[in-house]
Amino acid sequence: MSIRRLIWVILVGLLALSANAGPRTLVLVVRADSKVVDLDSLGVRKLFLGLPVLVNGSPLHPVRNRSDADLDPIFLQQIVAMSQSAYERQTLIGVNRQGWLRPTEASSVAEVLKDLYADPNAVSFMWQSDVEHNPRIRVIRVLWGD
Amino acid sequence: MRFGRLLGLGLLLSWQLARGEPLKYEFLLLPSAEFVGTFARHSPDTQIHDDAIQADILLTLQQGPLKVFGEYLVSDHEGDLERLQLGWQLSDDTVIWAGRFHEPGSVWNHDHHHGQYLQTSITRPAIEEWEDLGGVLPQHFTGVLIESGANVLNGRRLRMAVGGGIAPQITADGLEAFDLLHPDTDTRHQLGFQGRVSLHPNEFSESGGGLLLADDELTTVGLTQPTLARLDHVHLRLFGLFATYAQSNWKLTATIYAADSRMYYATHGHDDSFFVGYFQGEYRFAYDLTGFARWEDSVGASSSGYLQLFDRFARARQVVGMRWDFVHRQALTVQFARSHTLEGRYSDIRLQWSAAFF
Repeated sequence: MSIRRLIWVILVGLLALSANAGPRTLVLVVRADSKVVDLDSLGVRKLFLGLPVLVNGSPLHPVRNRSDADLDPIFLQQIVAMSQSAYERQTLIGVNRQGWLRPTEASSVAEVLKDLYADPNAVSFMWQSDVEHNPRIRVIRVLWGD
Repeated sequence: MRFGRLLGLGLLLSWQLARGEPLKYEFLLLPSAEFVGTFARHSPDTQIHDDAIQADILLTLQQGPLKVFGEYLVSDHEGDLERLQLGWQLSDDTVIWAGRFHEPGSVWNHDHHHGQYLQTSITRPAIEEWEDLGGVLPQHFTGVLIESGANVLNGRRLRMAVGGGIAPQITADGLEAFDLLHPDTDTRHQLGFQGRVSLHPNEFSESGGGLLLADDELTTVGLTQPTLARLDHVHLRLFGLFATYAQSNWKLTATIYAADSRMYYATHGHDDSFFVGYFQGEYRFAYDLTGFARWEDSVGASSSGYLQLFDRFARARQVVGMRWDFVHRQALTVQFARSHTLEGRYSDIRLQWSAAFF
């Protein structure tokens, strides 16, 4: 193989890899038949801090997606806007003072989907690529994109 | 038991209304262990029942807007149902509770409750002490509590709480709150009412300031001292101001209470008033170390007829200490305090381990 041919192979390989990775977008998701139509950023922050957020008189149930290590910094910076230790303390205080529920934690995409399928009031966040062809899941809004 | 039956009926009715919603729960265990050494004693009594080991257990069950919330404290000398509340979440901002709750008129206890891990200092201010540990103000009520909030003035947050219910009574051992699990048949409990309102920079901020009011009728049962034998009840009115300023590394808290009491004897009445306040500062250093200091003081405490009912009450106290969050959700705290009671003074040093598990 000539050097020129080797360079072409490497370039094509790199292009294929970058096309595969693509820009990533984090979206807020619910079950397709959920009554949740919209949630603003303040509502999302309240929800994932464990504060009550009601739709039609029923409280929503946040599911924190921890299936990917890249999700944690985005969750802390973009959704709840605090450090992990401050977030933990805040949710503990909520349980102690008001009996609030801490968000459920899901460690895999399958677990997040299972929670969403089982509960019309469950709200979570996922990579758009994980849900874009799933008819049982509805995207409420974009939370973050790179 | 009438209140218990009413609570049971309310639970049944609420559960019927919330049927079809998934049942969610939350469990939190806050254990702690403490060593106390007292020295430089110039007082006949120091602390009573210093808990060496305790576990604070919190459980929430929620089905739709219906909530059941309980707190049970087990220690080396007692087991008490501290809170048992049946709640209905009316909206994002408002919840109505029925049951046994901590009175919203206590600044410290409304924020920290019984769990040691969530408060920086080992001890609470003397004016905020629990009834069964020599406290002078009512802390546990059985009745109805409404908590609410609203966004006002360009995103600032107004928080409110009002409560009313069965007030503690005064016994020879101090204040005694109504016990839901073992209701006393020889009871003379009367009612008390409390309110609290505070303003915060936003919905998520710890900083803020507010005021509180309480009006309690405290009946007496079994007082044996000859001078108190004819005391029938005390009408206690409380007004308080409080403020907290919190930044990422430090926190300042200041509270002042003004109390008016009228003591009703069989033949006459006696009025008095006193002021109690405290100021606490905390600073978070590197290596998860937090230093803290608290200054507690009072005016008119020594001459208050009402406070004479609680001779272990610390009318002034200085506290200094250091907390080390040495591993995830576990802390070690050392604290030194100098207390001036109505009968003398003493010093103590404490070492505590506290944690949070769920």
